[in-house]
Amino acid sequence: MSTKPDRYVGIDHDINGGMTTIGKIIRDAWVFDLIPETETCANWNLAGIDALLQKVNAEWDKYGCLVSRLPPELAARHQQIHDAAIAKARAAGWSGEHETDDED
Amino acid sequence: MAVKNYSAGVKEYRETYWMPDYTPKDTDILACFKVTPQPGVPREEVAAAVAAESSTGTWTTVWTDLLTDLDYYKGRAYAIEDVPGDDTCFYAFVAYPIDLFEEGSVVNVMTSLVGNVFGFKALRALRLEDIRFPIAYVMTCNGPPQGIQVERDILNKYGRPLLGCTIKPKLGLSAKNYGRACYEGLRGGLDFTKDDENVNSQPFMRWRHRFDFVMEAIHKAEAETGERKGHYLNVTAPTADEMMRRAEYAKEIGAPIIMHDYITGGWAANTQLAQWCQNNGMLLHIHRAMHAVLDRNPHHGIHFRVLTKILRLSGGDHLHSGTVVGKLEGDREATLGWIDIMRDKYIKEDRSRGIFFDQDWGSMPGVLPVASGGIHVWHMPALVNIFGDDSVLQFGGGTLGHPWGNAAGAAANRVAVEACVEARNMGREIEKEGKDILVNAAKSSPELKIAMETWKEIKFEFDTVDKLDVAHK
Repeated sequence: MSTKPDRYVGIDHDINGGMTTIGKIIRDAWVFDLIPETETCANWNLAGIDALLQKVNAEWDKYGCLVSRLPPELAARHQQIHDAAIAKARAAGWSGEHETDDED
Repeated sequence: MAVKNYSAGVKEYRETYWMPDYTPKDTDILACFKVTPQPGVPREEVAAAVAAESSTGTWTTVWTDLLTDLDYYKGRAYAIEDVPGDDTCFYAFVAYPIDLFEEGSVVNVMTSLVGNVFGFKALRALRLEDIRFPIAYVMTCNGPPQGIQVERDILNKYGRPLLGCTIKPKLGLSAKNYGRACYEGLRGGLDFTKDDENVNSQPFMRWRHRFDFVMEAIHKAEAETGERKGHYLNVTAPTADEMMRRAEYAKEIGAPIIMHDYITGGWAANTQLAQWCQNNGMLLHIHRAMHAVLDRNPHHGIHFRVLTKILRLSGGDHLHSGTVVGKLEGDREATLGWIDIMRDKYIKEDRSRGIFFDQDWGSMPGVLPVASGGIHVWHMPALVNIFGDDSVLQFGGGTLGHPWGNAAGAAANRVAVEACVEARNMGREIEKEGKDILVNAAKSSPELKIAMETWKEIKFEFDTVDKLDVAHK
């Protein structure tokens, strides 16, 4: 029997201080107000996360996927949410080196 | 008890295969081996044995000796040199007549040169350091399907390195989400995304499904950016027939470029695919999985500069080269040597770069070196300086690891490379002034600013295992 959890632990309990693929989806969902900033997605299943990803993608498509194309209000919100996330991840031991570990 | 290590048999090899007065012909294929002999065996005898066992040595014991002209077809050991800084081995130079090999067949050449001889008893270890392919042989090979200039024309991109990214996580993304990751990278400013070499056609993502979603991503990114984009669709497959089926489909859906692993996939399959690409206007990206098995041991195996030449003859438009500045293997001077071998028309012997022979490629197109592995925006000034414009700089984690996501990582790299190229074109010393150049560029790119903050404190201080021989002591 698989011991792999089928529910997400929540961004506040994710590895690397939340600097993960799912963490990025949730933060962007906060930026675009798709879910409240109090929603950590704890106990969501994969289908729920995937559905959220599709909504986040639809929002990003409006701005060519680039932060530098966000309108000022959204850009400010993005900065506030992501600056806090980066600081939290660093405090949890994350660094850019993790991202380049597994490469050919 | 005395141990008998080696005995030549009826006749010593050097009587037939050691020819120090031989002057190699322009049409000879020349090879330089690094030979580590068994104790007590004279150098000339071992060099002659290598020449024999990599050419006609096994023919002499059979009746065909009467039908073939051994003196014409045999390999000739014509020189021996010390290896700088290493008394355990020496270089042996061997000349082979061109007619010993089938035209256009790197398979045939390598079957002889790195065949049975590598298990020969007289040797403790053997490494093929370099090969000189005469222009007469080069002309019989197909070579890169399109070449650097044609690729630039196809993409309509000039005057800068191209940018790529391998899509991670390696295994487990659905084809749809995989395609989305490609789109974000391309939309953010990359020229190419790439299938990971491990992604072929596993149950979690069959090749056709992946190809379809990736092409959708390419079309979307092209429409929004007005640029040509590509994704290295990996057609490496269990059989050559299946590989061709995937290549045909990639062409059918409009993909400009496909990918093959030329060592694990095999050189015959690679040559077949390269010829098909040439006939069908497709670009071919080459990955080199398994190369380190062959090229990493300084005393045994095949040097990567040889594998580079094999690929240029067999055919490929891109080849992974190492980075010099990243975290993977690669001595700087040696890497510059095989980058020249990939791109240039004529390469002079240059021992400071590990190049043992002049190599004339004639009109055979060049191959773009792909710098990949543990690199990020802070490496950009050095990469642009080392690799120049005719290269692909491939940032995997250095793109997808951006805290803001894939498109932001791609945008950061695009801004960084354009800033470095502009500074270089204005005469600035970009490696020395790299920090200023990037800091200034980041003023108008929040994506680059965050990338620089993410990776600023990383240093790569791994020493290389396979150094040039001159640097060993």
